[in-house]
Amino acid sequence: MSDNRIEGYARALFEIARAEGTIDEVEDELFRLARTLESSDALRNALTDEKIPVARREGIVEDLLGGKATGTTVQLVSMVVAGGRGRDLPAIIDRLVQRASSAKQLEVAEVRSAVELTADQQTRLAAALANATGKQVNLKVVVDPSVLGGIVATVGDTVIDGSIRTRLDNVKGRL
Amino acid sequence: MSLFSILANDPAQTHSWLLPENAEIIYGGIASVLVIGGLVKFAFPQFTKFLNARTERIQKELDASASDLSTAQTDAAGIRQALGDIAGERARLLADANTQAAAVLTDGRARLTVEIAELEARATADIETAAARGSDELRAEIGRVASIAVDAVLPSVLDGATQQALVENFISKVGASR
Repeated sequence: MSDNRIEGYARALFEIARAEGTIDEVEDELFRLARTLESSDALRNALTDEKIPVARREGIVEDLLGGKATGTTVQLVSMVVAGGRGRDLPAIIDRLVQRASSAKQLEVAEVRSAVELTADQQTRLAAALANATGKQVNLKVVVDPSVLGGIVATVGDTVIDGSIRTRLDNVKGRL
Repeated sequence: MSLFSILANDPAQTHSWLLPENAEIIYGGIASVLVIGGLVKFAFPQFTKFLNARTERIQKELDASASDLSTAQTDAAGIRQALGDIAGERARLLADANTQAAAVLTDGRARLTVEIAELEARATADIETAAARGSDELRAEIGRVASIAVDAVLPSVLDGATQQALVENFISKVGASR
């Protein structure tokens, strides 16, 4: 899909969520869904396989998000999947998150951690990243066991890597 | 005439114990002249002819011998010259052989030196390559073993408290940077 279409879908989802007054929740839920899609080939294939009927793919979305996400999020994802744009869903969501952050004068800070961060930790981490980058950040935390320990934070083009995985990789590289 | 005188006048007795009777000398002389004359007339020419033929034959043999001698001397000179040539050729061949042998030896030594140097260089390179390969394999093995060990040990080391400590440490470091 072209950048224009991705941008168009992102803008449309953003406007719908903002109109519904649930932009913060939707943005957060979609961000988590995007990371889940990136880490699960089976789910990505199920949502993008053209041979699977649209109704079945929408059912998968319902099963995946039903009860765990807001209705707006479920409807938006179903709309994209039904439109045959499931393959571009992560890119659309990332663009939506950027747009939402820009609307709040924030920079998206994607944080990958091996464990869940408490609200207090997220607040202090957001402040620390703002101090380090000089930008106010919209923190998006992803629990990623592959990190093993510590945190990897990405703010724009800046990557701050304090993960055990990277340290281990460095040690292995030196060996 | 008495018997004694008869015995004293024996015709078989000569008057000298050395000289024959005159008549005997005369007849003997005539006979000798005839025999000698016959010999001179008939035998001497034959004898002379025989001697001339013999002389001629001997001369021929002498000439032939001289000719043979000359031929032999010529042959000997040729042989001596040939021997000299052979000796010279032998000396030249030996000198050429020595020169070629020296050249071959020098060339062989040079080639051997080069080959030995190449072999040493190749052997050194092979040893270094093998050592490097062994070192790389050892490093890779250490890395692999370390990776396995880390993967086995990490879950027990990274407990909840450690995870929280890592998170707090990250927040502190990032907050302190700028």
